[in-house]
Amino acid sequence: MADIIFVTDEVNTTITDRVFTMVENVIHMEHGSVALVFLIGVIFGGIIQYTRVDKFEKIAGFSMLKDTIIPKMLFLTVGLTSIGLYFMIDAGQAHYHVKPIILQGLIIGGILFGISMAILGKCPGTGPVSIAEGRIDVLIGAIGGLLGGLVFTLYYDDFFKPLMGESLGKSILPDFFQGHEDMTALIFGVIVIIIAIVIPKLELFDEADLSQLSETQQPDKK
Amino acid sequence: MANRLPWWMGGILMSGLLLLTFSIYGADRPIGASTYVPYVASLIFNLDPEKYSYIEHIKSSGSWEGVMLLGVLFGGFITSVFITKSFRFSLIPSAWKRYKNNSVISRLLWSFFSGFIMIIGARLAGGCTSGHFMSGMSQMAISSMIFGTVVLLTLVITGKLFYNTKGDK
Repeated sequence: MADIIFVTDEVNTTITDRVFTMVENVIHMEHGSVALVFLIGVIFGGIIQYTRVDKFEKIAGFSMLKDTIIPKMLFLTVGLTSIGLYFMIDAGQAHYHVKPIILQGLIIGGILFGISMAILGKCPGTGPVSIAEGRIDVLIGAIGGLLGGLVFTLYYDDFFKPLMGESLGKSILPDFFQGHEDMTALIFGVIVIIIAIVIPKLELFDEADLSQLSETQQPDKK
Repeated sequence: MANRLPWWMGGILMSGLLLLTFSIYGADRPIGASTYVPYVASLIFNLDPEKYSYIEHIKSSGSWEGVMLLGVLFGGFITSVFITKSFRFSLIPSAWKRYKNNSVISRLLWSFFSGFIMIIGARLAGGCTSGHFMSGMSQMAISSMIFGTVVLLTLVITGKLFYNTKGDK
């Protein structure tokens, strides 16, 4: 089953049919079984929830420089993964999936993303976790996001695609250090891990969360 | 059981999950979490993929992330109810009250607005915190480093300008 087959959409379909089509698309792709993709989501959501990095206090708190758990965890993840992934790809156990350098899109998109991340206090990965734990304000944010996705889809060809500009290719850091690729990957990984460790640990807690826990479980009461 | 994991444990576990997802024994692709948004929007509003080139373009990533999203909602719910005990309905975060205002309407309007521009921004850049920052920087992609730098700078500038942090201890 090497070829990808997409189910053609009929005009009059219910939302259930369309969700079923989505699952069917995953079945016909060679990117893991539906169960595995679902499980990846469960673990992803579980890690984010269990580390509490989906909290407004963590993400908006970082924008106010009152909490640094987000950058510490992100940089550690990137550092460890970059070393592991580089050698996995070298051994043929994984492939590159590099996003193109579309300069205008990256800069304009990055600015909009940074502004909204500070205000919403979530990103598209942590937002669903917050909704799952009962945050109504984030649900409203998600409705805004769905409308954003709709507007982007409707005006993609006419407005957004020209705004993004042309791709300048898909380079990665080792491309600039020909002959020293392994060393570049190792040094990059180690530097990023060191950054994660040396960022001073600051935490902003949510009293409403802490009050639900017993005295000994509260992380700020040592 | 501890009610939360430390950042370093979170980083190690997330790295393990990323490597599993990237590997040919896993999904042979990166983790992303913003392509599903326009895809789910196309499901809800029943947009015809033949009319809108963008849906055709994101169909496979959007479907993959859509199924992952169902898992994320399930995993987040189970963990919040049974492990962190943080499940509760709320309209306004504690730190918003402390550093912004006490108005529910203000919080909801800002949430809606920021959710809207967040997805436009992520789709313009071609990724978000997961796809660019985590998956992209782990591949040492130049595009993701540019995105990461712009986001980090804008995030901190917005935080300084938007919230009232003066007079705080």
